[in-house]
Amino acid sequence: MTISIWRYSHLALAVSSFLLLTLLSITGIILAFEPISQKTQPFGVNGFSQITLAKSLPALRKAYPDISELTVDANQFVKIKATDTNGKNLDAFVDPLSGKVLGTTPKENDLFETVRSLHRSLFLHEVGRAIIGVTAFLLMLITTSGIALIIQRQRGIRHFFKRIVRDSFAQYYHVVLGRLSLIPILIIAISGTYLSLARFDIFDIKKNSIKVDFDNIKSTPVRKATEISVFKNTKLSEVESVEFPFSEDVEDYYTIKLKDREIAVNQITGDILSEVVYPKAVVYSNLSLDLHTGRTSIVWALVLAVAAANILFFIYSGFAITLKRRANRVDNKFKANESNVIILIGSENGSTYRFAKAVHQQLLKQGQRSFITELNNYTIFPKAEHLIIITATYGLGNAPTNAAKFFNLLKKYPQGQNINYSVLGFGSHAYPDFCQFAFEINNFLSQQTWAKPLIDVHTVNDRSPQEFELWAEAWSQQSGLIIEASADLKMPQKHKLKSFTVSSNTATGTEDGAFSVRLKTKRLQKVTSGDLLAIYPANDNRERLYSIGVIDNEIQLSVRLHEHGLGSGFLHRLTVGQKMQARIVYNKHFHFPAKSPEVVMISNGTGIAPFLGMINQNKANVPCHLYCGFRHSHSVDNYKAVLNQGKAAGKLQHLRVALSREGNKQYVSDLIARDPDFMVNVLSTKGTIMICGSLAMQRDVMDVLEGICKTKTGKGISYYQSHNQILTDCY
Amino acid sequence: MPRFFKLFCLFAALFMIGQAASAQTNKYKCMVQMSNYMGDGAYVVISLINSKGAYEKTLYVLGSDKKWYNSLKEWHKFYKAKPTNINAITGASVTGGDRSVNVIELEQSKINAGYKIRFESAVEDKKYNVSDVEVPLTTEGLSAKTEGTGYIRHVRFSAN
Repeated sequence: MTISIWRYSHLALAVSSFLLLTLLSITGIILAFEPISQKTQPFGVNGFSQITLAKSLPALRKAYPDISELTVDANQFVKIKATDTNGKNLDAFVDPLSGKVLGTTPKENDLFETVRSLHRSLFLHEVGRAIIGVTAFLLMLITTSGIALIIQRQRGIRHFFKRIVRDSFAQYYHVVLGRLSLIPILIIAISGTYLSLARFDIFDIKKNSIKVDFDNIKSTPVRKATEISVFKNTKLSEVESVEFPFSEDVEDYYTIKLKDREIAVNQITGDILSEVVYPKAVVYSNLSLDLHTGRTSIVWALVLAVAAANILFFIYSGFAITLKRRANRVDNKFKANESNVIILIGSENGSTYRFAKAVHQQLLKQGQRSFITELNNYTIFPKAEHLIIITATYGLGNAPTNAAKFFNLLKKYPQGQNINYSVLGFGSHAYPDFCQFAFEINNFLSQQTWAKPLIDVHTVNDRSPQEFELWAEAWSQQSGLIIEASADLKMPQKHKLKSFTVSSNTATGTEDGAFSVRLKTKRLQKVTSGDLLAIYPANDNRERLYSIGVIDNEIQLSVRLHEHGLGSGFLHRLTVGQKMQARIVYNKHFHFPAKSPEVVMISNGTGIAPFLGMINQNKANVPCHLYCGFRHSHSVDNYKAVLNQGKAAGKLQHLRVALSREGNKQYVSDLIARDPDFMVNVLSTKGTIMICGSLAMQRDVMDVLEGICKTKTGKGISYYQSHNQILTDCY
Repeated sequence: MPRFFKLFCLFAALFMIGQAASAQTNKYKCMVQMSNYMGDGAYVVISLINSKGAYEKTLYVLGSDKKWYNSLKEWHKFYKAKPTNINAITGASVTGGDRSVNVIELEQSKINAGYKIRFESAVEDKKYNVSDVEVPLTTEGLSAKTEGTGYIRHVRFSAN
């Protein structure tokens, strides 16, 4: 996997160089203030960029007859070397037009001098410079791998500056600041590397010396310095330095050093005696120096200082992330081949580990032999009864690094006994392919003969504790093993229960024991169809969940009475007017889609419950098509009233009913298989398919849909699942 | 009388000291043109060498950071033994290809008297040249261009 290569190299490079990078960043920040302190000196002149050599050189030579040299520094201050009227050496900043002294050359600041020496050679001369050069190169690689990681994380370069999902402080700002400052940091790294290489003569930066043919030097025609064309055409701002003729002898000439060349000019005739163009490497070296030191611009110097400070933050946050990730490693008490609960994890940065570990710890506490490992370590689990798969999705619906081999392993190691599985996907709706990998695993497992779905696939958006709890409750209910999500994830222990009043109960029921209970409560507006009602039939921690359909502002539960059923028995016994305590579980992923143009509802048995409510609440008359399956025709009678009312009001377009024990003996999946074009049309026009009922029905329907989608659209069903176009809530 | 004699002696001594101090000196511009060597700025010291080949006076130092002075080994021995204030005759170090023009003072009496001017050079982590250039302190020597053997390409003088 390329992802892990980038991440490992990013980490390995950082670990190998962080000490030096810390030192270099701190010294770099200090050095950034050198150009800033220099530029605030009052040695500049107005209109500097307009001054030509023809204006400046003769004036300066008149003011200082024995001027030997003029330099234009990075701050565009003009410095000369000459002798003053007392015959003393003069080394000062001057006005290039009048020669007026603006200030003497300040002594190099000892602090900057020492810090610079530390910054570029660690006081170790050549050895130190080599070490620094290597460090700069490593920084370049770290930055490059960092860019690659951001591109991976953001799914392509086009989304580079899109929103970043917040995991933790360190992770979030590592990425946010990373993409803001990676350009300056990359520039620092490249220029630093270049300067180091240049230092070790890797590039040809040897300047050729000017060769003047003294035999052919002419002393006529005499031109005034102000008339010499090369002087008139050259601005001071293009010049690095000018060496004045050593004497008035014709053999002594001006040497003008520009950024990219050096020219010798006859002081009498103004002829160009010789010209040497510097190798390109010299120009690059100068550019590197400008970029690395910020000597030409205060703004850039400040940018560099901020970027260097960011490097310090990256070192801190990078290690914080790594340590957190490492802390997630767990030791198993039991071996894989002796454990009855197997927890498999797919996680890219370890945040899902926290949840998986909580589950693992709780199971261990209850004396279960729980084994936790990565999806890539999947193998034969001879004693396993439960398989819990907790996985994130990475990139464009890809497997996380530690789960990449899972599908191959799954094919390779079919389990010998039946195992109940449950898949829990972690993800964020900020990404388009929400939990796609989890859906893929769930669909793939459902095709294995040994794998029995215990509960429907669940997802957790942005690590929502409520959604995690939803899964934990569903799983506990079906497995009989208690997972209290609250204990380890800091949630309120006791749920606040609400009071409900029974307004009707059709408990007389039909032959297959289906009945409906309607409940009233104050402030119903927070509840909608698709939410769940958690009841506590025995007033203990045993909880049962039922799908809610909101009909005429009342909660309707559709239930089938099971023999010895704890929950269904309790509900069956309820009488009108009776009060009961229960809790609403917000189940956002199965709400009626707000923006969908068309909705297909598929149910069997009491799975029709939320759909009854949704149809009733469909005030906008979004085209709805209900495909429902029952055993007998009289099972439908229970719901006839609500359905007919919906049809009459235009809230329900079509109703298709499959009866499994009468007439054609059809299943609801047979109805779906009959309308392939319709299903594809709904999906390809951004419509939604909602499925509620038994897991067996869900598997059949999904198989049919998978076949239809694969042949007609070329996309797997998990694509639509991850785009919230196929919603399931099965049990 | 003795008192007068003493006073006379004192005046005479003062006069002679004054005479020595104001010995006839001339100023010269001295140009050091560096070759295109690769590396950091060179430290160059210009010294007056007597006829026995010993250091007599420091004329100019190109390079201001005292911590590098020990790299100019021979001169540094002399300087350490007899430290003098060289602040007024210290300039910046010179990098490859550059030149440095400075004013040095030479006593008239030392010219054509067997003295030499030595240019000693050192570059960080590179070779040290005890005598990069030696110019005989004669009228011809001061008017000619003298080629260097190390980092210095040539040196020239001109009366100021």
